[in-house]
Amino acid sequence: MAKTGIKCFYGVLRMIFSQIFDMINSGIVILDRDLKVVKWNRWMENYSKIPANDVIGKSIIEFYPNLDNAKFKRNVKSVLAFGNFSFFSQKLHKYIFPFKALNTLGVKFDYMQQNCTMGPIRGENNSIEYIYIMVQDVTEVAAYEQKLIEMNIKDGLTGAYNRRYFETRIKEEFARHKRYSRPFSIIMQDIDYFKKVNDTYGHQAGDFILTSFSSSVAGRIRNVDILARYGGEEFCCLLPETNLKSAKLVAEHVRHLVEQSIYKFKNLELKITVSQGVAELNPEMSSHEIMLKRADDALYEAKKTGRNKVIGWEEKNQNT
Amino acid sequence: MIKKILIVDDSPIARKMLNSSLPKDKNYETMFGVNGEDGVVKFQEFQPDVTFLDLTMPIMDGYKALEEIRKLDKNAIVIVTTADIQPKSIATVMELGAFTLLKKPAKSKSIEETLEKIEVKLSKIAGE
Amino acid sequence: MSHETEPIVSDEEKEILQEIMNIAFGNATADLAEVIDIYVVLSVPNIEILGVGAIPNFIEKSVKVYSEIDVVEQKFWGDFNGSGLLVFPNNAGRELINVLDEGGDVDSFEAKPIDNLEKDILMEIGNILIGACVGKVAELLGTIVTYSPPQVISNDNNNEYSYFIDSFDPNQSAILMKTVFKFKDQDISGLLLLLTNQESIEWLKQALNAFMESYE
Repeated sequence: MAKTGIKCFYGVLRMIFSQIFDMINSGIVILDRDLKVVKWNRWMENYSKIPANDVIGKSIIEFYPNLDNAKFKRNVKSVLAFGNFSFFSQKLHKYIFPFKALNTLGVKFDYMQQNCTMGPIRGENNSIEYIYIMVQDVTEVAAYEQKLIEMNIKDGLTGAYNRRYFETRIKEEFARHKRYSRPFSIIMQDIDYFKKVNDTYGHQAGDFILTSFSSSVAGRIRNVDILARYGGEEFCCLLPETNLKSAKLVAEHVRHLVEQSIYKFKNLELKITVSQGVAELNPEMSSHEIMLKRADDALYEAKKTGRNKVIGWEEKNQNT
Repeated sequence: MIKKILIVDDSPIARKMLNSSLPKDKNYETMFGVNGEDGVVKFQEFQPDVTFLDLTMPIMDGYKALEEIRKLDKNAIVIVTTADIQPKSIATVMELGAFTLLKKPAKSKSIEETLEKIEVKLSKIAGE
Repeated sequence: MSHETEPIVSDEEKEILQEIMNIAFGNATADLAEVIDIYVVLSVPNIEILGVGAIPNFIEKSVKVYSEIDVVEQKFWGDFNGSGLLVFPNNAGRELINVLDEGGDVDSFEAKPIDNLEKDILMEIGNILIGACVGKVAELLGTIVTYSPPQVISNDNNNEYSYFIDSFDPNQSAILMKTVFKFKDQDISGLLLLLTNQESIEWLKQALNAFMESYE
């Protein structure tokens, strides 16, 4: 009699929990000690497009080879050995399951942004028998964050970064250089005779030139580089991990590209050139301000000696 | 026959834990050493049949104490107890002539099994 | 009835805790070698009873050896409740990247800037080390703990560091367990501190006595 009562009670519990497991708005994966999938909830089915029946009993690595890395394995071992919890935050890892992301607020992510947690599931006498992975979709939050950051750090007209952000970044880069002694360089850029464009064709044309110039440069630099609008028609590139020689090469590419380009605005065909000063951080520069000053000096030199050219600041110019 | 057991560990708690994990029905006579050096002295005085020896101890560590004890009696039966079991430390203590190595906290079941093995070994020797 | 304040834990309780820590850290060391393929040596832990307000000073004093430090902090909760702090000298992260990061290609910064990579590796190692030690202590005391995500605090970032230091309530006391850890082949060493919050000290005392009772 009592026994059936207990049975019935557990039956009800199981019914409740299995429904919650499938209703909850997060991914839940249960793995055994060999990383074979034991449970795969409906959320996982929905976003992975893999039905539970296809994945259960098989190794998760078979379906997601990206998990076959030292870090993931270390964390699995620590869950099994110590009952640890592991955290894969969106900030550092973006995602661990490559699921298709929906476009949010016009911010395009290649994959759904995820916060994931991994931890132990215990059986009899507290021995760890399974591992759970919980997946939260944080794409929307990440998109908001990105939007906010962009509003705060980008120049409204050109889409390049603003000066304030550039200042923060150069300080950071300076500190990083001090800590890791990694090279970095900056390029100061000034569009030649820009005032003339403005005076001759009006501000709209001027704005168009600034925006076009900005996208030309942006297309020429790496993802890790920073292009900022430093002043009216003055731009500045920050190139981490780059020495003077390579930075001058980048500047030369930009110079050539801008010189070759024809900027079509309404029915006008405009041509411009750009003067550039390049400086690499070296031990004698005790602050980022000095570095900026050096690049500016080199830019001044380029202007003075005929424009449309690249001048690098070298120790030997010190006496000029 | 095992009658006398020496327990060498610098932690009074560890000595107590081990002592109360010994098979209750055997009524062993036990003595304690509070560090390696003291353990060697007690070994000479007490002449135990089996010695439990911790590895990390002040004044003289377990490795050294094991060496000294084996010098005094090349047939001394020593069970090393340690929380940190590594292949390297296992190899070292076995080389120094330990009977076996038990992971702390030693369960009474594994202590009992080890002592039984020793009894079998001793009765073989006695029978020869 | 004396008016003297009772010590938070008795000498015997301290001794039991000491032995539990010895066993826990020893077991953790053995398992860590399996988990991270690095041989970590943990020194014999010592136990201090402090007011929490005294902790920042204690940390400062303990880490005076290093000019710059990174601290990984991770809270754990359950019956056993507190936080683990791992104090690294500030070059440790870079060293560890070389050891642990598959590909180990510190020269390719395209994917992640180095300080993120470093933070990530410190957090991961911190999480594993703190979890190993706390997990083994909990296991011996017959309880289970849950962890919050770890965070990295650099003392070269003043805001971060002072905010962290301010987070200790000066009116609380804590049981602090301190050990020195060493990555044997990398010549990296640092401090591991486990702090037990005041609210779980009562539980801890009971658990220690219960642990010992099974040996009576």
